[in-house]
Amino acid sequence: MAGKKLKKTINRRQFLKRAGAGSAVLGGAGMGFFGYQSGKDPESYTGWETHEGAQQSFNRKRWSVDKPHYKKVGPTKRADARTEVIFSRRPSLQRQWRDETGIDGLDEVLQDYYRRNPQDLELDLYAMKEIAPKQRADMQKYGDPFTLAMAWSNAMGAVSPPRINRPPAETDFLRNRRTGEPVESMKMKSPEKTSKLIKKISHELGSTLVGIAKLNPDWVYLYPMRGRGFESDQEIDIPKHWQYAIVVGSPMSWDPMYANPTYGTSNDAYSRSRIIAFRVASFIKQLGYAARPHTPGTDYDLMVPPILIDAGLGEQGRPSIVITPELGCNFRPAIITTNLPLKPDKPIDFGVQRFCKTCKICAENCPSGAISMGGMVEVRGYLRYKLDTAKCLNFWDSTLGSMGCRICVAVCPYTRKANWLHKTARDVIINDPTGLSDTVLTALQKRFYPGPDPQKYYIPSLGGENASYRKPPWWLRSEDFIDF
Amino acid sequence: MQFFSSGLFWFLEGIFACLFIIGFKYWAEDRGYIMSFWKWLLLGIWIVLFGFTLAFVGTSLGEGEPNAALFGGIIFGLITIISAVGLWRIVIRKS
Repeated sequence: MAGKKLKKTINRRQFLKRAGAGSAVLGGAGMGFFGYQSGKDPESYTGWETHEGAQQSFNRKRWSVDKPHYKKVGPTKRADARTEVIFSRRPSLQRQWRDETGIDGLDEVLQDYYRRNPQDLELDLYAMKEIAPKQRADMQKYGDPFTLAMAWSNAMGAVSPPRINRPPAETDFLRNRRTGEPVESMKMKSPEKTSKLIKKISHELGSTLVGIAKLNPDWVYLYPMRGRGFESDQEIDIPKHWQYAIVVGSPMSWDPMYANPTYGTSNDAYSRSRIIAFRVASFIKQLGYAARPHTPGTDYDLMVPPILIDAGLGEQGRPSIVITPELGCNFRPAIITTNLPLKPDKPIDFGVQRFCKTCKICAENCPSGAISMGGMVEVRGYLRYKLDTAKCLNFWDSTLGSMGCRICVAVCPYTRKANWLHKTARDVIINDPTGLSDTVLTALQKRFYPGPDPQKYYIPSLGGENASYRKPPWWLRSEDFIDF
Repeated sequence: MQFFSSGLFWFLEGIFACLFIIGFKYWAEDRGYIMSFWKWLLLGIWIVLFGFTLAFVGTSLGEGEPNAALFGGIIFGLITIISAVGLWRIVIRKS
Protein backbone atom coordinates (compact mmCIF):
# COMPACT_ATOMS: atom_id res chain seq x y z
CA MET A 1 0.00 0.00 0.00
CA ALA A 2 2.78 2.39 1.04
CA GLY A 3 4.77 1.40 -2.04
CA LYS A 4 1.79 2.15 -4.31
CA LYS A 5 1.33 5.62 -2.73
CA LEU A 6 5.01 6.44 -3.14
CA LYS A 7 4.88 5.44 -6.79
CA LYS A 8 1.83 7.69 -7.33
CA THR A 9 3.59 10.63 -5.64
CA ILE A 10 6.66 10.20 -7.81
CA ASN A 11 4.50 10.08 -10.92
CA ARG A 12 2.81 13.31 -10.03
CA ARG A 13 6.15 15.01 -9.41
CA GLN A 14 7.44 13.72 -12.71
CA PHE A 15 4.34 14.96 -14.43
CA LEU A 16 4.58 18.43 -12.92
CA LYS A 17 8.27 18.68 -13.70
CA ARG A 18 7.60 17.84 -17.31
CA ALA A 19 4.60 20.12 -17.41
CA GLY A 20 6.82 22.88 -15.97
CA ALA A 21 9.39 22.36 -18.72
CA GLY A 22 6.67 22.33 -21.35
CA SER A 23 5.13 25.45 -19.87
CA ALA A 24 8.46 27.25 -20.10
CA VAL A 25 8.59 26.49 -23.81
CA LEU A 26 4.94 27.39 -24.42
CA GLY A 27 5.13 30.52 -22.26
CA GLY A 28 8.28 31.67 -24.04
CA ALA A 29 6.75 31.03 -27.45
CA GLY A 30 3.64 32.86 -26.31
CA MET A 31 5.74 35.92 -25.43
CA GLY A 32 7.26 35.86 -28.89
CA PHE A 33 3.87 35.63 -30.57
CA PHE A 34 2.47 38.29 -28.26
CA GLY A 35 5.31 40.57 -29.35
CA TYR A 36 4.76 39.82 -33.01
CA GLN A 37 1.09 40.63 -32.75
CA SER A 38 1.80 43.81 -30.79
CA GLY A 39 4.16 44.91 -33.51
CA LYS A 40 1.62 44.31 -36.26
CA ASP A 41 -1.45 45.41 -34.38
CA PRO A 42 -3.17 48.41 -36.04
CA GLU A 43 -4.43 49.33 -32.59
CA SER A 44 -0.89 50.44 -31.80
CA TYR A 45 -1.05 53.12 -34.51
CA THR A 46 -0.78 56.12 -32.26
CA GLY A 47 -3.86 58.25 -32.17
CA TRP A 48 -6.09 55.91 -34.11
CA GLU A 49 -7.44 53.82 -31.28
CA THR A 50 -10.51 55.88 -30.56
CA HIS A 51 -12.15 59.13 -31.38
CA GLU A 52 -13.51 59.59 -27.90
CA GLY A 53 -10.40 61.03 -26.36
CA ALA A 54 -9.19 57.87 -24.67
CA GLN A 55 -5.90 58.07 -26.49
CA GLN A 56 -5.23 61.43 -24.88
CA SER A 57 -4.52 59.42 -21.79
CA PHE A 58 -1.27 61.01 -20.67
CA ASN A 59 -1.56 62.31 -17.14
CA ARG A 60 -0.86 65.96 -17.84
CA LYS A 61 -1.60 67.12 -14.31
CA ARG A 62 1.53 65.43 -13.02
CA TRP A 63 3.70 67.29 -15.54
CA SER A 64 1.91 70.61 -15.66
CA VAL A 65 3.91 73.74 -14.96
CA ASP A 66 2.91 77.35 -14.45
CA LYS A 67 4.97 78.78 -17.29
CA PRO A 68 5.70 77.36 -20.74
CA HIS A 69 9.25 76.18 -21.41
CA TYR A 70 10.12 78.86 -23.98
CA LYS A 71 11.96 81.80 -22.49
CA LYS A 72 11.44 85.46 -23.20
CA VAL A 73 14.92 86.87 -23.64
CA GLY A 74 14.33 90.24 -25.28
CA PRO A 75 11.71 92.58 -26.61
CA THR A 76 9.12 90.50 -28.42
CA LYS A 77 7.49 91.25 -31.72
CA ARG A 78 4.83 89.62 -33.79
CA ALA A 79 5.66 87.79 -37.01
CA ASP A 80 5.14 89.37 -40.40
CA ALA A 81 3.38 86.55 -42.23
CA ARG A 82 3.96 88.19 -45.60
CA THR A 83 7.67 87.43 -45.45
CA GLU A 84 8.44 85.30 -42.42
CA VAL A 85 5.92 82.64 -43.39
CA ILE A 86 7.41 80.89 -46.36
CA PHE A 87 4.04 79.80 -47.78
CA SER A 88 3.23 83.46 -48.15
CA ARG A 89 6.65 84.76 -49.20
CA ARG A 90 7.38 82.30 -52.00
CA PRO A 91 4.16 82.83 -53.96
CA SER A 92 4.80 86.59 -53.74
CA LEU A 93 8.32 86.12 -55.06
CA GLN A 94 7.05 83.92 -57.89
CA ARG A 95 4.56 86.58 -58.90
CA GLN A 96 7.00 89.45 -58.76
CA TRP A 97 10.39 88.11 -59.77
CA ARG A 98 11.89 89.19 -63.08
CA ASP A 99 15.48 88.28 -63.91
CA GLU A 100 16.06 91.59 -65.64
CA THR A 101 15.08 93.69 -62.62
CA GLY A 102 16.16 91.31 -59.87
CA ILE A 103 15.56 92.29 -56.27
CA ASP A 104 14.85 95.90 -57.30
CA GLY A 105 11.72 94.74 -59.08
CA LEU A 106 10.15 93.37 -55.90
CA ASP A 107 7.75 95.30 -53.71
CA GLU A 108 9.17 97.13 -50.71
CA VAL A 109 8.20 94.48 -48.20
CA LEU A 110 9.95 91.66 -50.06
CA GLN A 111 12.93 93.84 -50.93
CA ASP A 112 13.40 94.76 -47.30
CA TYR A 113 13.15 91.14 -46.20
CA TYR A 114 15.51 89.75 -48.83
CA ARG A 115 18.09 92.48 -48.27
CA ARG A 116 18.14 91.45 -44.59
CA ASN A 117 18.05 87.74 -45.45
CA PRO A 118 19.96 87.25 -48.72
CA GLN A 119 20.38 83.51 -48.04
CA ASP A 120 16.59 83.13 -48.21
CA LEU A 121 16.48 84.85 -51.59
CA GLU A 122 19.10 82.44 -52.85
CA LEU A 123 17.17 79.42 -51.54
CA ASP A 124 13.79 80.72 -52.76
CA LEU A 125 15.17 81.35 -56.24
CA TYR A 126 16.87 77.96 -56.24
CA ALA A 127 13.48 76.37 -55.54
CA MET A 128 11.88 78.29 -58.37
CA LYS A 129 14.56 77.92 -61.01
CA GLU A 130 16.31 74.63 -60.25
CA ILE A 131 14.17 72.39 -58.09
CA ALA A 132 10.78 72.86 -59.72
CA PRO A 133 11.90 71.93 -63.27
CA LYS A 134 13.97 69.00 -62.03
CA GLN A 135 11.09 67.74 -59.90
CA ARG A 136 8.72 67.91 -62.88
CA ALA A 137 11.17 66.07 -65.14
CA ASP A 138 11.84 63.36 -62.55
CA MET A 139 8.14 62.99 -61.92
CA GLN A 140 7.67 62.11 -65.58
CA LYS A 141 10.51 59.65 -65.47
CA TYR A 142 10.23 58.05 -62.03
CA GLY A 143 6.74 58.97 -60.85
CA ASP A 144 4.80 55.75 -61.61
CA PRO A 145 5.43 53.98 -58.28
CA PHE A 146 3.89 56.92 -56.46
CA THR A 147 0.62 56.98 -58.39
CA LEU A 148 -1.47 55.47 -55.59
CA ALA A 149 0.23 57.63 -52.94
CA MET A 150 -0.68 60.74 -54.91
CA ALA A 151 -4.23 59.55 -55.55
CA TRP A 152 -4.67 58.78 -51.87
CA SER A 153 -3.22 62.11 -50.78
CA ASN A 154 -5.43 64.02 -53.19
CA ALA A 155 -8.45 62.01 -52.07
CA MET A 156 -7.75 62.96 -48.45
CA GLY A 157 -7.62 66.61 -49.43
CA ALA A 158 -10.66 66.47 -51.70
CA VAL A 159 -13.18 67.44 -49.04
CA SER A 160 -12.60 70.72 -47.32
CA PRO A 161 -14.66 73.49 -45.75
CA PRO A 162 -14.61 76.75 -47.72
CA ARG A 163 -11.70 79.08 -46.99
CA ILE A 164 -12.35 81.98 -44.65
CA ASN A 165 -11.58 85.02 -46.77
CA ARG A 166 -13.48 87.73 -44.93
CA PRO A 167 -12.44 89.71 -41.82
CA PRO A 168 -13.27 88.41 -38.33
CA ALA A 169 -16.09 90.89 -37.74
CA GLU A 170 -17.96 89.36 -40.68
CA THR A 171 -17.19 85.67 -40.28
CA ASP A 172 -16.66 84.93 -36.61
CA PHE A 173 -20.26 85.40 -35.45
CA LEU A 174 -23.47 83.54 -36.12
CA ARG A 175 -25.96 86.15 -37.21
CA ASN A 176 -29.70 86.35 -37.01
CA ARG A 177 -30.98 85.79 -40.55
CA ARG A 178 -33.61 88.53 -40.25
CA THR A 179 -31.76 91.27 -38.43
CA GLY A 180 -28.20 90.45 -39.39
CA GLU A 181 -27.15 90.99 -35.78
CA PRO A 182 -24.98 88.44 -33.93
CA VAL A 183 -27.14 85.96 -32.05
CA GLU A 184 -27.32 86.38 -28.30
CA SER A 185 -24.69 84.55 -26.23
CA MET A 186 -26.04 81.86 -23.95
CA LYS A 187 -25.17 82.13 -20.30
CA MET A 188 -22.72 79.35 -19.54
CA LYS A 189 -22.63 77.99 -15.98
CA SER A 190 -18.85 78.03 -15.54
CA PRO A 191 -15.65 78.13 -17.64
CA GLU A 192 -14.60 74.77 -16.14
CA LYS A 193 -17.80 73.07 -17.27
CA THR A 194 -17.64 74.74 -20.68
CA SER A 195 -14.03 73.60 -21.16
CA LYS A 196 -14.98 70.05 -20.31
CA LEU A 197 -17.86 70.25 -22.77
CA ILE A 198 -15.74 71.67 -25.58
CA LYS A 199 -13.10 68.98 -25.10
CA LYS A 200 -15.71 66.23 -25.19
CA ILE A 201 -17.36 67.71 -28.28
CA SER A 202 -13.96 68.05 -30.01
CA HIS A 203 -13.15 64.41 -29.31
CA GLU A 204 -16.60 63.36 -30.49
CA LEU A 205 -16.01 65.35 -33.67
CA GLY A 206 -12.88 63.30 -34.31
CA SER A 207 -10.06 65.14 -32.61
CA THR A 208 -7.40 63.02 -30.94
CA LEU A 209 -5.85 65.99 -29.12
CA VAL A 210 -7.64 68.93 -27.53
CA GLY A 211 -6.21 71.74 -25.44
CA ILE A 212 -7.20 75.24 -24.43
CA ALA A 213 -5.03 78.33 -24.01
CA LYS A 214 -5.53 81.98 -23.27
CA LEU A 215 -4.47 83.61 -26.53
CA ASN A 216 -1.11 85.38 -26.22
CA PRO A 217 -1.20 88.36 -28.63
CA ASP A 218 2.47 87.72 -29.50
CA TRP A 219 1.37 84.69 -31.51
CA VAL A 220 -0.98 86.61 -33.80
CA TYR A 221 0.65 87.73 -37.04
CA LEU A 222 1.53 91.39 -37.26
CA TYR A 223 0.77 91.38 -40.98
CA PRO A 224 -1.52 88.71 -42.39
CA MET A 225 -1.20 85.82 -44.78
CA ARG A 226 -3.02 86.34 -48.04
CA GLY A 227 -6.68 85.55 -48.46
CA ARG A 228 -7.84 85.77 -44.85
CA GLY A 229 -9.85 88.94 -45.17
CA PHE A 230 -7.21 91.35 -43.89
CA GLU A 231 -5.52 94.12 -45.85
CA SER A 232 -1.99 92.92 -46.55
CA ASP A 233 -0.42 96.31 -45.89
CA GLN A 234 -2.21 96.86 -42.59
CA GLU A 235 -1.28 95.47 -39.23
CA ILE A 236 -3.76 92.98 -37.83
CA ASP A 237 -5.72 94.72 -35.10
CA ILE A 238 -6.33 91.71 -32.87
CA PRO A 239 -10.10 91.37 -32.44
CA LYS A 240 -11.29 91.61 -28.85
CA HIS A 241 -13.18 88.36 -29.21
CA TRP A 242 -9.99 86.36 -29.82
CA GLN A 243 -9.58 85.64 -26.13
CA TYR A 244 -9.04 81.93 -26.06
CA ALA A 245 -7.52 79.41 -28.44
CA ILE A 246 -8.83 75.87 -28.67
CA VAL A 247 -6.36 73.45 -30.22
CA VAL A 248 -7.51 70.32 -32.00
CA GLY A 249 -5.23 67.78 -33.63
CA SER A 250 -5.38 64.65 -35.70
CA PRO A 251 -2.64 62.09 -36.45
CA MET A 252 -1.28 61.31 -39.88
CA SER A 253 -1.88 57.73 -41.05
CA TRP A 254 0.80 55.54 -39.60
CA ASP A 255 2.10 53.36 -42.42
CA PRO A 256 2.40 56.09 -45.07
CA MET A 257 3.98 58.39 -42.46
CA TYR A 258 6.61 55.72 -41.89
CA ALA A 259 7.25 55.62 -45.65
CA ASN A 260 8.01 59.33 -45.84
CA PRO A 261 8.91 61.31 -47.82
CA THR A 262 7.65 59.70 -51.02
CA TYR A 263 4.54 57.85 -49.83
CA GLY A 264 3.45 59.94 -46.87
CA THR A 265 1.17 62.92 -46.91
CA SER A 266 0.06 65.70 -44.61
CA ASN A 267 -3.26 65.95 -46.39
CA ASP A 268 -5.01 63.31 -44.29
CA ALA A 269 -4.41 65.03 -40.96
CA TYR A 270 -4.74 68.49 -42.54
CA SER A 271 -8.14 67.60 -43.86
CA ARG A 272 -9.39 65.98 -40.66
CA SER A 273 -8.14 68.78 -38.43
CA ARG A 274 -9.62 71.40 -40.74
CA ILE A 275 -13.02 69.74 -40.75
CA ILE A 276 -12.92 69.25 -36.97
CA ALA A 277 -11.98 72.91 -36.41
CA PHE A 278 -14.87 74.13 -38.57
CA ARG A 279 -17.26 71.84 -36.74
CA VAL A 280 -16.07 73.00 -33.33
CA ALA A 281 -16.37 76.61 -34.50
CA SER A 282 -19.90 75.91 -35.67
CA PHE A 283 -20.77 74.40 -32.30
CA ILE A 284 -19.46 77.45 -30.45
CA LYS A 285 -21.25 79.88 -32.75
CA GLN A 286 -24.53 78.13 -32.07
CA LEU A 287 -24.02 78.90 -28.40
CA GLY A 288 -23.88 82.56 -29.42
CA TYR A 289 -20.13 83.09 -29.16
CA ALA A 290 -17.56 84.09 -31.75
CA ALA A 291 -15.32 81.45 -33.31
CA ARG A 292 -12.76 81.50 -36.11
CA PRO A 293 -10.89 78.43 -37.35
CA HIS A 294 -7.19 78.71 -38.23
CA THR A 295 -6.47 75.63 -40.24
CA PRO A 296 -3.81 73.81 -42.24
CA GLY A 297 -2.25 74.03 -44.81
CA THR A 298 -2.09 77.85 -45.02
CA ASP A 299 -5.22 79.41 -43.53
CA TYR A 300 -3.90 81.01 -40.37
CA ASP A 301 -3.90 84.41 -38.70
CA LEU A 302 -1.51 83.20 -36.02
CA MET A 303 1.40 80.91 -35.24
CA VAL A 304 0.24 77.51 -34.15
CA PRO A 305 3.12 75.77 -32.27
CA PRO A 306 3.40 78.21 -29.33
CA ILE A 307 -0.34 77.97 -28.77
CA LEU A 308 -0.05 74.19 -28.52
CA ILE A 309 2.65 74.68 -25.90
CA ASP A 310 0.49 77.17 -23.98
CA ALA A 311 -2.42 74.73 -24.15
CA GLY A 312 -0.33 72.00 -22.51
CA LEU A 313 -0.42 69.63 -25.46
CA GLY A 314 3.34 69.31 -25.74
CA GLU A 315 6.71 70.98 -25.99
CA GLN A 316 8.66 72.35 -28.91
CA GLY A 317 11.25 69.83 -30.09
CA ARG A 318 14.45 70.24 -32.07
CA PRO A 319 12.66 70.05 -35.45
CA SER A 320 10.78 73.15 -34.31
CA ILE A 321 7.45 71.39 -34.26
CA VAL A 322 5.58 70.38 -31.13
CA ILE A 323 6.11 66.95 -29.59
CA THR A 324 3.21 65.54 -27.59
CA PRO A 325 3.40 62.64 -25.12
CA GLU A 326 0.77 60.65 -27.01
CA LEU A 327 1.57 61.14 -30.68
CA GLY A 328 5.11 62.48 -30.66
CA CYS A 329 5.04 64.87 -33.59
CA ASN A 330 2.86 62.70 -35.80
CA PHE A 331 -0.14 65.01 -35.94
CA ARG A 332 -1.42 68.17 -37.57
CA PRO A 333 -3.21 70.76 -35.44
CA ALA A 334 -5.79 73.47 -36.05
CA ILE A 335 -6.86 76.34 -33.81
CA ILE A 336 -10.19 77.96 -33.04
CA THR A 337 -10.08 81.45 -31.55
CA THR A 338 -13.12 82.35 -29.50
CA ASN A 339 -14.61 84.49 -26.76
CA LEU A 340 -16.46 81.55 -25.20
CA PRO A 341 -15.42 81.72 -21.53
CA LEU A 342 -13.07 78.79 -20.93
CA LYS A 343 -10.61 77.56 -18.35
CA PRO A 344 -7.17 77.38 -20.00
CA ASP A 345 -5.00 74.30 -19.55
CA LYS A 346 -1.53 74.55 -18.06
CA PRO A 347 1.63 74.00 -20.10
CA ILE A 348 3.50 70.74 -19.51
CA ASP A 349 7.15 69.85 -19.08
CA PHE A 350 7.70 66.15 -19.69
CA GLY A 351 11.40 66.36 -20.51
CA VAL A 352 11.45 67.05 -24.25
CA GLN A 353 13.85 69.99 -23.87
CA ARG A 354 16.41 67.81 -22.11
CA PHE A 355 15.87 64.87 -24.47
CA CYS A 356 16.20 66.92 -27.67
CA LYS A 357 19.54 68.31 -26.48
CA THR A 358 21.11 64.86 -26.60
CA CYS A 359 19.04 62.98 -29.20
CA LYS A 360 19.50 64.91 -32.50
CA ILE A 361 18.21 61.95 -34.55
CA CYS A 362 15.94 64.29 -36.53
CA ALA A 363 18.82 66.63 -37.38
CA GLU A 364 21.06 63.73 -38.40
CA ASN A 365 18.36 62.30 -40.67
CA CYS A 366 17.13 65.60 -42.13
CA PRO A 367 17.98 65.49 -45.84
CA SER A 368 17.94 69.28 -46.24
CA GLY A 369 19.98 70.20 -43.18
CA ALA A 370 17.15 72.48 -42.08
CA ILE A 371 17.14 71.17 -38.51
CA SER A 372 19.86 72.67 -36.37
CA MET A 373 22.41 70.47 -34.60
CA GLY A 374 23.08 73.41 -32.30
CA GLY A 375 21.12 74.92 -29.48
CA MET A 376 18.21 77.30 -29.25
CA VAL A 377 18.38 80.80 -30.69
CA GLU A 378 16.44 83.99 -30.09
CA VAL A 379 13.53 84.45 -32.46
CA ARG A 380 11.45 87.60 -32.07
CA GLY A 381 12.39 87.83 -28.40
CA TYR A 382 11.89 84.16 -27.51
CA LEU A 383 14.52 81.45 -27.09
CA ARG A 384 13.62 78.41 -29.19
CA TYR A 385 14.81 75.90 -31.76
CA LYS A 386 14.72 77.43 -35.21
CA LEU A 387 14.04 75.50 -38.38
CA ASP A 388 15.49 76.80 -41.66
CA THR A 389 12.14 76.81 -43.44
CA ALA A 390 13.61 77.68 -46.83
CA LYS A 391 15.89 74.63 -46.82
CA CYS A 392 13.06 72.51 -45.46
CA LEU A 393 10.55 73.56 -48.10
CA ASN A 394 13.14 73.18 -50.86
CA PHE A 395 13.36 69.52 -50.03
CA TRP A 396 9.55 69.25 -49.67
CA ASP A 397 9.11 70.66 -53.13
CA SER A 398 11.72 68.40 -54.66
CA THR A 399 10.25 65.03 -53.72
CA LEU A 400 8.04 62.85 -55.85
CA GLY A 401 4.82 61.20 -54.75
CA SER A 402 2.43 63.31 -52.76
CA MET A 403 5.31 65.68 -52.01
CA GLY A 404 6.64 66.73 -48.66
CA CYS A 405 9.13 65.25 -46.28
CA ARG A 406 8.16 64.61 -42.63
CA ILE A 407 11.30 62.51 -42.07
CA CYS A 408 11.72 64.31 -38.74
CA VAL A 409 8.26 63.08 -37.76
CA ALA A 410 9.02 59.49 -38.77
CA VAL A 411 12.38 59.22 -36.99
CA CYS A 412 11.47 61.02 -33.74
CA PRO A 413 11.72 58.56 -30.83
CA TYR A 414 8.51 60.02 -29.39
CA THR A 415 6.69 59.17 -32.64
CA ARG A 416 6.51 55.46 -32.33
CA LYS A 417 3.69 52.99 -32.13
CA ALA A 418 1.62 52.80 -28.99
CA ASN A 419 2.63 49.22 -28.22
CA TRP A 420 4.10 47.94 -24.96
CA LEU A 421 7.69 48.37 -26.14
CA HIS A 422 7.63 52.00 -27.19
CA LYS A 423 5.20 53.05 -24.49
CA THR A 424 7.57 51.60 -21.90
CA ALA A 425 10.56 53.34 -23.48
CA ARG A 426 8.65 56.63 -23.49
CA ASP A 427 7.62 56.20 -19.86
CA VAL A 428 11.20 55.43 -18.84
CA ILE A 429 12.45 58.59 -20.56
CA ILE A 430 9.73 60.75 -19.07
CA ASN A 431 10.15 59.43 -15.54
CA ASP A 432 13.94 59.22 -15.37
CA PRO A 433 15.19 62.31 -13.48
CA THR A 434 18.87 61.55 -14.20
CA GLY A 435 18.70 61.77 -18.00
CA LEU A 436 20.75 58.58 -18.29
CA SER A 437 17.96 56.81 -20.15
CA ASP A 438 17.96 59.63 -22.75
CA THR A 439 21.50 58.66 -23.74
CA VAL A 440 20.97 54.89 -23.58
CA LEU A 441 17.65 54.79 -25.42
CA THR A 442 18.81 57.28 -28.06
CA ALA A 443 21.85 55.06 -28.73
CA LEU A 444 19.58 52.01 -29.01
CA GLN A 445 17.19 53.89 -31.28
CA LYS A 446 20.04 54.81 -33.63
CA ARG A 447 21.32 51.22 -33.63
CA PHE A 448 17.95 49.50 -33.96
CA TYR A 449 16.04 51.82 -36.30
CA PRO A 450 18.49 53.33 -38.79
CA GLY A 451 17.23 55.14 -41.88
CA PRO A 452 18.83 55.45 -45.29
CA ASP A 453 21.65 57.93 -45.91
CA PRO A 454 19.72 61.25 -46.04
CA GLN A 455 21.11 62.00 -49.51
CA LYS A 456 19.22 58.97 -50.84
CA TYR A 457 15.90 60.68 -50.09
CA TYR A 458 16.53 63.12 -52.94
CA ILE A 459 15.27 62.65 -56.47
CA PRO A 460 17.80 61.25 -58.97
CA SER A 461 18.31 64.65 -60.64
CA LEU A 462 19.48 65.98 -57.30
CA GLY A 463 21.75 63.03 -56.59
CA GLY A 464 19.35 60.76 -54.72
CA GLU A 465 17.40 57.53 -55.15
CA ASN A 466 13.80 58.48 -54.18
CA ALA A 467 14.31 56.52 -50.96
CA SER A 468 11.73 56.35 -48.21
CA TYR A 469 12.36 55.83 -44.49
CA ARG A 470 10.56 52.50 -44.57
CA LYS A 471 8.78 50.50 -47.29
CA PRO A 472 5.30 51.67 -48.25
CA PRO A 473 2.25 49.75 -47.01
CA TRP A 474 0.84 47.20 -49.43
CA TRP A 475 -2.06 49.44 -50.41
CA LEU A 476 0.23 52.18 -51.72
CA ARG A 477 2.43 49.94 -53.88
CA SER A 478 1.22 51.05 -57.28
CA GLU A 479 3.16 48.41 -59.20
CA ASP A 480 1.14 45.68 -57.45
CA PHE A 481 -2.16 47.11 -58.71
CA ILE A 482 -1.51 49.07 -61.89
CA ASP A 483 -0.09 47.74 -65.11
CA PHE A 484 2.21 50.60 -66.13
CA MET B 1 -9.70 41.10 -30.38
CA GLN B 2 -6.76 38.99 -31.38
CA PHE B 3 -5.71 36.03 -29.27
CA PHE B 4 -2.24 37.17 -28.27
CA SER B 5 -3.50 40.45 -26.87
CA SER B 6 -6.54 38.90 -25.22
CA GLY B 7 -7.20 38.25 -21.56
CA LEU B 8 -7.33 34.51 -22.28
CA PHE B 9 -3.75 34.61 -23.53
CA TRP B 10 -2.48 36.22 -20.31
CA PHE B 11 -4.57 33.77 -18.28
CA LEU B 12 -2.82 30.89 -20.06
CA GLU B 13 0.56 32.58 -19.59
CA GLY B 14 -0.23 32.73 -15.87
CA ILE B 15 -0.99 29.02 -15.81
CA PHE B 16 2.26 28.28 -17.67
CA ALA B 17 4.19 30.41 -15.19
CA CYS B 18 2.65 28.57 -12.23
CA LEU B 19 3.37 25.18 -13.77
CA PHE B 20 6.94 26.22 -14.50
CA ILE B 21 7.48 27.38 -10.93
CA ILE B 22 6.00 24.18 -9.44
CA GLY B 23 7.97 22.00 -11.86
CA PHE B 24 11.15 23.94 -11.12
CA LYS B 25 10.57 23.58 -7.38
CA TYR B 26 10.22 19.78 -7.63
CA TRP B 27 13.19 19.59 -9.97
CA ALA B 28 15.36 21.59 -7.53
CA GLU B 29 14.20 19.54 -4.54
CA ASP B 30 14.94 16.25 -6.32
CA ARG B 31 18.49 17.40 -6.97
CA GLY B 32 18.99 18.75 -3.50
CA TYR B 33 19.25 22.43 -4.53
CA ILE B 34 18.05 24.74 -1.82
CA MET B 35 15.90 27.56 -3.25
CA SER B 36 16.08 30.53 -0.89
CA PHE B 37 13.83 33.54 -1.47
CA TRP B 38 16.57 35.53 -3.18
CA LYS B 39 17.22 32.67 -5.61
CA TRP B 40 13.52 32.71 -6.44
CA LEU B 41 13.75 36.49 -6.84
CA LEU B 42 16.68 36.21 -9.23
CA LEU B 43 14.87 33.49 -11.15
CA GLY B 44 11.79 35.71 -11.41
CA ILE B 45 13.88 38.60 -12.76
CA TRP B 46 15.52 36.29 -15.26
CA ILE B 47 12.12 35.02 -16.45
CA VAL B 48 11.05 38.63 -17.07
CA LEU B 49 14.28 39.25 -19.00
CA PHE B 50 13.76 36.08 -21.03
CA GLY B 51 10.17 37.05 -21.81
CA PHE B 52 11.24 40.59 -22.69
CA THR B 53 13.86 39.33 -25.14
CA LEU B 54 11.40 37.09 -26.93
CA ALA B 55 8.70 39.75 -26.95
CA PHE B 56 11.19 42.37 -28.22
CA VAL B 57 12.25 40.20 -31.13
CA GLY B 58 8.62 39.34 -31.92
CA THR B 59 7.49 42.97 -31.69
CA SER B 60 10.32 44.19 -33.92
CA LEU B 61 9.51 41.56 -36.55
CA GLY B 62 5.81 42.45 -36.32
CA GLU B 63 6.64 46.12 -36.81
CA GLY B 64 8.67 45.30 -39.89
CA GLU B 65 11.95 46.19 -38.19
CA PRO B 66 14.25 43.20 -38.88
CA ASN B 67 17.30 45.24 -38.00
CA ALA B 68 15.93 45.95 -34.53
CA ALA B 69 14.95 42.26 -34.17
CA LEU B 70 18.47 41.14 -35.13
CA PHE B 71 20.48 43.56 -33.00
CA GLY B 72 17.98 43.48 -30.15
CA GLY B 73 17.96 39.69 -30.31
CA ILE B 74 21.77 39.60 -30.18
CA ILE B 75 22.16 42.18 -27.40
CA PHE B 76 19.30 41.09 -25.16
CA GLY B 77 19.81 37.42 -26.09
CA LEU B 78 23.45 37.57 -24.97
CA ILE B 79 22.45 39.28 -21.74
CA THR B 80 19.80 36.58 -21.20
CA ILE B 81 22.23 33.71 -21.87
CA ILE B 82 25.03 35.15 -19.73
CA SER B 83 22.66 35.85 -16.87
CA ALA B 84 21.21 32.33 -17.25
CA VAL B 85 24.70 30.87 -16.79
CA GLY B 86 25.25 33.08 -13.75
CA LEU B 87 21.84 32.14 -12.36
CA TRP B 88 22.54 28.45 -12.89
CA ARG B 89 25.75 28.69 -10.89
CA ILE B 90 23.87 30.42 -8.09
CA VAL B 91 20.97 27.95 -8.10
CA ILE B 92 23.13 24.82 -7.93
CA ARG B 93 24.95 26.10 -4.85
CA LYS B 94 23.87 23.79 -2.04
CA SER B 95 24.09 26.49 0.62
